[in-house]
Amino acid sequence: MEGLIPRIAITSLGKTWQGRRGDVEALRDINLAIGPGEFVAVVGPSGCGKSTLLSVVAGFATPTSGKVLVDGLSVDGPSPERGVMFQDYALFPWRTVADNIGFGPLARGVKRAERLEITQRLVALVGLDGFQDRYPHELSGGMRQRCALARMLANDPAVWLMDEPLAALDPQTRIVMQDELLRIWGDERPADQRRAVLFVTHGIDEAVHLSDRVVVLARRPGRVRAVIEVDLPRPRSALRSSPEAARLVAEIWALIRDEAVDAIREENG
Amino acid sequence: MRARLPQRVLPPLGFALIVLGSWYGVARHLANPQLLPSPWTVGVALVDLLGNGDMVDDILASLGHLGLGYGIGAGIGLIMAALCARFAALETAIDPLVELLRPIGAIAWIPFAILMFGVGSTVPVFLISYGAAFPIFVATLAGMHGVDRALLAAGQALGASKRMLITHVVFPAALPHVLAGARLSLGVAWAAMVAAELTGSDSGLGWRLFWYQEFFRMDRVMAVIVVIGVLGVAADALLRALRQAVVGWSPEDSNAA
Amino acid sequence: MRRDRWIAITTVVCIVLLWQVAISANGLHAKVPSPLGIVAAIAAHVADGSLPSALRDSFLRVAKGFAIAALIGLPVGTAMGMTPILARAVAPFLDALRSIAPIAWIPIAVLWLGVRGDAAVFIVTYAAVLPLALSAHQAVRLIDQRLLQASHALGAGWFLTLRAVIIPGSIPVLITAVRVSMGFAWGAVIAAELAVGVKIGPGQGSQGIGQMMIETLYVRRDVDTLAMCMLCVGLVSLAIDAGARGLGRRLAPWKV
Repeated sequence: MEGLIPRIAITSLGKTWQGRRGDVEALRDINLAIGPGEFVAVVGPSGCGKSTLLSVVAGFATPTSGKVLVDGLSVDGPSPERGVMFQDYALFPWRTVADNIGFGPLARGVKRAERLEITQRLVALVGLDGFQDRYPHELSGGMRQRCALARMLANDPAVWLMDEPLAALDPQTRIVMQDELLRIWGDERPADQRRAVLFVTHGIDEAVHLSDRVVVLARRPGRVRAVIEVDLPRPRSALRSSPEAARLVAEIWALIRDEAVDAIREENG
Repeated sequence: MRARLPQRVLPPLGFALIVLGSWYGVARHLANPQLLPSPWTVGVALVDLLGNGDMVDDILASLGHLGLGYGIGAGIGLIMAALCARFAALETAIDPLVELLRPIGAIAWIPFAILMFGVGSTVPVFLISYGAAFPIFVATLAGMHGVDRALLAAGQALGASKRMLITHVVFPAALPHVLAGARLSLGVAWAAMVAAELTGSDSGLGWRLFWYQEFFRMDRVMAVIVVIGVLGVAADALLRALRQAVVGWSPEDSNAA
Repeated sequence: MRRDRWIAITTVVCIVLLWQVAISANGLHAKVPSPLGIVAAIAAHVADGSLPSALRDSFLRVAKGFAIAALIGLPVGTAMGMTPILARAVAPFLDALRSIAPIAWIPIAVLWLGVRGDAAVFIVTYAAVLPLALSAHQAVRLIDQRLLQASHALGAGWFLTLRAVIIPGSIPVLITAVRVSMGFAWGAVIAAELAVGVKIGPGQGSQGIGQMMIETLYVRRDVDTLAMCMLCVGLVSLAIDAGARGLGRRLAPWKV
């Protein structure tokens, strides 16, 4: 990726949360650059600050030190330029599928006719035809996930920030949605037609299957422990259980395992 | 869970028949309409009162008290809740006042209201306002504070302005709580209305109860009680229908009280 | 939290001081109650024993009416929870009865039971029995069926299931019901005493706090005593609420 201007540039980022029982250092000295069309996954044990990293880039939290640049501009607060997909989707329960998807354009002041056109295109893209008028509580988990993805895409954001978007799905739906996500992102298209993605996940195999690079974070405080290049060809859907992928998963797991065990022990005690 | 129509209608109907039958039996046995009028006499009295217009006057008077008092009380509760949600300092300031006044309840204000306003329509209107203000205030404030932060974050990330966050996220999120509060308020207002009319008013259904009792017309007393019950059920059903119409998006829990 | 508490206390103190100053400055003593006047009224009515005695009378009525309501309401509600057809038959009837303000029955209650206090007990019972029955119904219905299955699968007989699953499972809902219906009952007893007092005039009705208010209103027109009574009504409501919550924490420490 050298030679390209990064879409997201994170330099010596630190974040300390101030809490009632003292301060918690969530992130320390994070350096990371994500190029145009690059899919970067972040994995790490519980408490490694994955979600904190994402909220800083999204603009929900301000860095304690260091800086985050998106397209050369410093991040201050959320912006429709950076699409966010939330852990439990955060769909507006009082808006139908179509109205959820149309919220971003509505907020940007897009005219009604054009809004309708955007909504229809995205409903078709994510495969929710016939469900436009349903409310979120009437949808299955996979359908909600599709709706949340479409809602993020409706602003055509330059970067996609995704916080464990598939974690709430059952294993089979998750596999289907991973390949759907790749298709919509442009797995089969040339790299210059794709968006930059920062994808936080618990699943190591998911990270390997989806991304170009996997950033492994260490915990307490969260630091970059390793960056693993995933040199598998795209499109990926056929490569799900290739020996190469399995080798990478094992390699990443070896990096995380001890800390993951510590994390579980701490949570239990 | 939804039973078929006959299964839903027959048991209540049967039970109603049993109740009416035993009421009729006891009344026959006592044979003293001043102690317990039979369902038949109560029905006749009801038709009679509706026919000569007395009952209509009383109903209109009560609904007038209720409409005015509930409008004032619920309005104040709603506006105060919105202001408190917007200005935290105001909430801190009036919270102790609310906690002080709320437990006193509308009923305990009756003598004071009679002293201040004299017997008349102001007493029920005041008490209904007082009683109606608190439940909707508490529920609305809780609803506004309880807005899911993830939804606010989602709105921001999609580019919503502060104003749009309030109109498109905070308000709809609080709406079910507001409507639940409105229903609670109506229940309190209804009870306050009857009590206030009984003790400190010169019109309305509650006032009529004691009026007819003076003349030992227990059939008419019972007729008024029946009307109070029917109107109470109707008002509650109205608010339930409103909830259904306005927040149909919310997974319904029709059995919640 | 602690800062908020201080702000709250300061606000209350300021309001009380301003209230007193405003009244002293305007010479409104007879028309508007004043904090000092209320304190004096409390001192006088505690000293001659009339306030404790009125509160005790009212509270005994609530206790009596509530006990009767519990004896009727809880078994009926439990039976409804265990027999769906009974629930379908009775629930709409109870809902409709709930729309009749308890106090509306006062003319009939006075006729049947007299003014000496039993009429008020009847109103209290009426106010408490419906929420108790409907909550007991809910409580039994809402017990997780899987807990019952788990209990049977683990080899428990019906008695152990009742003792270890059904009763503890319904306690949280029932505690809430007790809190709510006790609150209703307290409001109802005041309303009933007021109505009886208004109806038959001072000096002969039931000797409760409501009666005391009516006598103050019609005989002495003493606003300070009236405000004292209202304050006591509020304090008893708070005490009932706190008591029920405390009971809930003791009986169901895993909830609340």
